[in-house]
Amino acid sequence: MMRRYGVVIALLALSLGAALFVPGFLALGNLTTILLHVSVNAILALGMTFVIVTGGIDLSVGSLVGFAGVLTAAALTSAGTLGAVGVGGATLLAVLVGTGTGAAVGAANGALTAYGRIAPFVVTLATMTIARGAARLVTGGVPIGFPAADDPAFAQKSAALDALHAIGGGRLPVPGLERGFPVPALIMLAVVGAGAFVLTRTRFGRYIYAIGGNEEAARLSGVPVKGVKLGAYAISGGCAGLAAILLVGQLKSGGPDAGLLYELNAIAAAVIGGASLLGGVGTAWGALVGALLIGVLNNGLDLLGVQSFWQEIAKGAIILFAVTFDVWTKRGHHHA
Amino acid sequence: MQTDRKRRREKQVVGVHCRVSLLTLSAVTKRYPGVTALDAVDLGVEAGAVHAIVGENGAGKSTLLKLIAGAERPDAGEIRWDGAPVTFASPRDALRRGITVIYQELALVPNLGADANIFLGMERTRGGVLQADAMRETAAKALAELGLSIDPTQPVARLSVAQRQLVELARALVRDVRLVAFDEPTATLTAHEVAHLAARIEWLTTKGIAVIFVSHRLDEVRHLASRITVLRDGRRVWTGATIDVDEAALIRHMVGRDVAYQRHPAGRAPHAAPVLDVRGLTRAPAFHDVSFTLRPGEIVGVAGLVGAGRTEVARALAGIEPWSAGEVSLSGAPYRPRTPRDAIDRGLAYLPEDRQRDGLVLRFTVRENVTLPVLRRFARRGQIRREEETRAARAAATAVDLRPAPPDIERPTLLLSGGNQQKVVVAKWLLTDARIIVFDEPTRGVDVGAKVDLHRQIRSLADLGKGVLLISSELPELLALADRVLVMRAGRVAGELSGDDVTAERIMALAVETP
Repeated sequence: MMRRYGVVIALLALSLGAALFVPGFLALGNLTTILLHVSVNAILALGMTFVIVTGGIDLSVGSLVGFAGVLTAAALTSAGTLGAVGVGGATLLAVLVGTGTGAAVGAANGALTAYGRIAPFVVTLATMTIARGAARLVTGGVPIGFPAADDPAFAQKSAALDALHAIGGGRLPVPGLERGFPVPALIMLAVVGAGAFVLTRTRFGRYIYAIGGNEEAARLSGVPVKGVKLGAYAISGGCAGLAAILLVGQLKSGGPDAGLLYELNAIAAAVIGGASLLGGVGTAWGALVGALLIGVLNNGLDLLGVQSFWQEIAKGAIILFAVTFDVWTKRGHHHA
Repeated sequence: MQTDRKRRREKQVVGVHCRVSLLTLSAVTKRYPGVTALDAVDLGVEAGAVHAIVGENGAGKSTLLKLIAGAERPDAGEIRWDGAPVTFASPRDALRRGITVIYQELALVPNLGADANIFLGMERTRGGVLQADAMRETAAKALAELGLSIDPTQPVARLSVAQRQLVELARALVRDVRLVAFDEPTATLTAHEVAHLAARIEWLTTKGIAVIFVSHRLDEVRHLASRITVLRDGRRVWTGATIDVDEAALIRHMVGRDVAYQRHPAGRAPHAAPVLDVRGLTRAPAFHDVSFTLRPGEIVGVAGLVGAGRTEVARALAGIEPWSAGEVSLSGAPYRPRTPRDAIDRGLAYLPEDRQRDGLVLRFTVRENVTLPVLRRFARRGQIRREEETRAARAAATAVDLRPAPPDIERPTLLLSGGNQQKVVVAKWLLTDARIIVFDEPTRGVDVGAKVDLHRQIRSLADLGKGVLLISSELPELLALADRVLVMRAGRVAGELSGDDVTAERIMALAVETP
């Protein structure tokens, strides 16, 4: 019971504390802002959960946010594409490029891990470095995005960026909500919901848990272990691509350094949400709750005017607390 | 054997009055949330004697060992060591007082040598620098005393289970042990290795060391121990001298009911075409030129010492490892599985020897484990149909007599006894509708009651027309179940016995003799 709902209780307690002691926290506008800020990390944490449940790790997602982001921005603002398919077509293409890049690199991670039998830590450490370098190479170190004033395609490029901004930074009008509900938060909820469905209700999801629980038993039971692992990494990469699209839309540019260290936030959210790095344990909603916990903490401390350095320390302490709690509750299970 | 027993009887008669207990447990009780693992149990262990503890899985043997090892403390009752009451603060404390427990899962660091393992935690140093030579010499001497001539510096991962066991024993000797407790030490040993260990255990007693011997194998227990304690459901139900009890009585004490072994197979003589035909199967150095047939409705036993290549052949047939030469046909069609999935799809199920390592996802519930190989059947466009899955899992769990009835299929398999876990493995493969079922040591470490259930299950599978290949190191099991017995030795088929030729003597002779 405590194990299952421990994080939710922690989130509620933290929110209650913030509501009582942090002026402005409870304002609807602030709450939707938290959701907006959390969406990128929650999506990454969801993908990360797939990988962690198989017993792996994906260090490449932060760099992948940068790499997929610059390719998304490039596809979106390419004068050639805009001329050929227009703003709508370019936006669609950009979304496909972003998620496609992420999923493809993720699938490569999975292939190297599952078929090449290289430790996932090493594989994704390498792709993390490669993706970051590639992002810088493609851009020459300069963000791709807002066109210069003398750009002949200025109007089209601005329109394309605005179109993607509707996805990454847009707000849906909701009665009673002054600024509306952030679109990325809706996407986040949809993605986490879909992730939860896949993990708990599908064969693929059952296989993910089986592999993390006992890879050899899964293999002997006829589970296509390699294919499922590849799928898990591809999902993680795809989530990174989606996060990249949201980030490019939000900022109206794709920077080569975007997503720096995001992989660590995603791992933190997944672990706070109950995923075990030993594999076999973790949930989609847990990843969301973990991301929310970090988001509420950051937001509360922000509103209190606490230095960001302290926020990092607090986040680290929460990770330790979550994992310690996990280990302690598990200890009770051993006698049987 | 006969003279052994006589000698021990004399020893016992002489020793009855002059021996005092080295270790005494008085009315010890240990409770865990929801279960009383030990309920006012008494135990007295004398120096220089072997005291066996037997009981079904879940009877409390492991908990008792944990109390003795200092890994757990009793909630009530008293432990006396060497005449004085003690409380073991930790395993280290118990170790320092001269108590060593050798668990089934051996506690050695695989990548270190025997010498480093023997001195782990008590390294000899001079000025902080390891005295490697001195330690290696002492280690080699202790190993030699146990009849083990190995290079003490080679990683223990390269040693056999029996050798590693002796390394643990050597570690105890170097620490001047006074009591050694063995937890199922012979479960994975060959007959030869068992004999060696038994001799070493007798030697320990001559040095005045007390031995506690926990085992399922009643013949060994009766051979080695002078006294036996039977536990059932956390209570001590019987303690006495070995000479006062026979095997049937012990089993009665253990299970609280009479269990009769059926001594002969059903006597089937199927004439159908073979469902599996293996010709010249070879993968050097594991197995060479293995040929046999298996007919529907037939149980073919595979006997042999550990290391004879039985499991390797089974794993090859199950698509886990390849073979390099030979032909196999399954239901008349060529068969060469490349993955376990291939084997399952062709109708061959393999129930691995180590169910915890290879057979189950322990964190999964009974339902999730049982349906894992056939999840496809319950999935529409990838989505699992929960009601169908539950229905099938419940039917399979009921079919294998998962206890307590009706089976709780939402219970994590982690929390089940060994016997029930094995039943879950059987249930899992029942669902695959396999035509050939390969059992690898299906009743190892399983309590007597579950064993009876499993034997009935294996028979009924054959009655259903399945071909059953039964790898077993327990001769009574083979005698009771197998229509024919294939005996393997050093990777080859040493012989095949059928009908009245299937006797324990003939099997053992083929398994150990050199032609």
